[in-house]
Amino acid sequence: MKKSFERIFNAGWTNFKRNSYLSLGTTGVMVLVLLLFSALMALNFLSVKIVASLQEKVDVTAYFKTEASDEEITAIKEAVQGLSDVRGVEYISREDALEEFKSKHSGDVLIQESLAELDTNPLQASLNIEATDPSKYASIVSYLEANKFRSLIDKINFYENEQVIDRVQRISGGLQNWGFALTVALAMVAVLVTFNTIRLTIFNQKQEIEIMRLVGGSNWHIKAPYLVEGGLYGAFAAIISIVIFYPVVYLSSPKVEVLMPNVSLLGYFTANALQYVLLVFSVGMLLGAVSSFVAIRRFLKI
Amino acid sequence: MIEYKNVYTIYDDNFMALGGIDLAVKDGEFISLVGPSGAGKSTLLRLLTRELSPSDGQIWVDGVNLADLSSSEIPLLRRKIGTIFQDFKLLSNKNSFENVAFAMEVCGASQEEIDCDVPKVLGIVGLTEKMQSFPHQMSGGEKQRLAIARSLIHRPKILLADEPTGNLDMVNSYDVVKLLLKINELGTTVILATHNREVVNAVGRRVINMEKGKIVRDQVEEGKYII
Repeated sequence: MKKSFERIFNAGWTNFKRNSYLSLGTTGVMVLVLLLFSALMALNFLSVKIVASLQEKVDVTAYFKTEASDEEITAIKEAVQGLSDVRGVEYISREDALEEFKSKHSGDVLIQESLAELDTNPLQASLNIEATDPSKYASIVSYLEANKFRSLIDKINFYENEQVIDRVQRISGGLQNWGFALTVALAMVAVLVTFNTIRLTIFNQKQEIEIMRLVGGSNWHIKAPYLVEGGLYGAFAAIISIVIFYPVVYLSSPKVEVLMPNVSLLGYFTANALQYVLLVFSVGMLLGAVSSFVAIRRFLKI
Repeated sequence: MIEYKNVYTIYDDNFMALGGIDLAVKDGEFISLVGPSGAGKSTLLRLLTRELSPSDGQIWVDGVNLADLSSSEIPLLRRKIGTIFQDFKLLSNKNSFENVAFAMEVCGASQEEIDCDVPKVLGIVGLTEKMQSFPHQMSGGEKQRLAIARSLIHRPKILLADEPTGNLDMVNSYDVVKLLLKINELGTTVILATHNREVVNAVGRRVINMEKGKIVRDQVEEGKYII
């Protein structure tokens, strides 16, 4: 059994070596396919990060009338925090708001002077509300509006933010749906291209398969070397695509970080290096072997 | 013992290749099958290896009806029957040694047996020097001798030769015929399909004439090529 497996593997390896020109072409196509897979993985990772960071940036702020007391606002904060759709609530008192305003405009003499002339603090206290999901803002706002403290609230900036929130929601939803559709479509193209390339490679050896049958080769004995050959295409393609992919990630990662701080493409692919390498190898070898298997079936009907 | 019993073969395009063949071939016989192209010679041979199945009638080899064989038994049948062709049908990406070795590998022979038998059989057909050569590096006569070596490696009981001299000059053809006669002397049944008059007359054994899918003449002894 071991000897027979060794022989089959050797036959596959010999085929691979002797058809070097054809092997190169097939491996090249598979390298492209595997790079495409890798790129899709990177895109998927980035789109998840983009959506997450967009969602983090969206919030709703309720501004309170100046006569509202700290206790009243704290009570509202606690009530809002109790809602299941709320991820976090930040209370900014009038004093905090003034401090922040001053420090933000510390270089602007005119504003500093105008503030100094005022007797009272003109800024309002506010609650910064972050929802678990952008679609929940509408219900949170309607809760605030129906609340008994409604009279204390001056305005809620939801209506100004509504469009932005809406758009973020649509973009993130679209990004995920279309990303998935694109991945599936490209994966199908990849499988078809690989399958066809290997089919052509095997078609080239059609006569040889016929001869193998004529000298009494059993189906399995004829088929197995081609499966090994297909797997080898996949394995070599995996090695080459990994050798290409990592330098590309290394070079492009800083550029991505300029656009999206705190997102490290290189970090992601280094942290998951083992899984990535295993995945690329298994996708490549499986794709090669399955394509060979389907392609060879056609020639074994006699 | 090979027996064709009222065998008909009709191809998909309704062409009748064989129209009621009755033929018995005894063990150790040497048969020359002659007739013009399209007479049904190749079809008759291809039925024997189950490359084709008859449309009607039965074919028996050593007491087994070929129609009863399952698809996993067909390779075993083919290992009992050596075949050589006009176009040699060699594996172009394998060298001489590997071409012959492959036929042994499919039988599950060990590497030691292969290393022992392959050089021997290549020696019989005179290709010891060409052991590492690929088919494209060999002449027509050498290729056919290699094909014969491959067909002999199983020590088959039956050897089918379909126009083996079709691509060869007179000298090489004669070498091949001598080889076939030698193999026959060692006890193998040989069925030679050809339309080469010189070859048939040189053999001088049982000659069967075919025309339009039928046997029209059967000269059992010292047959000559007659049209």
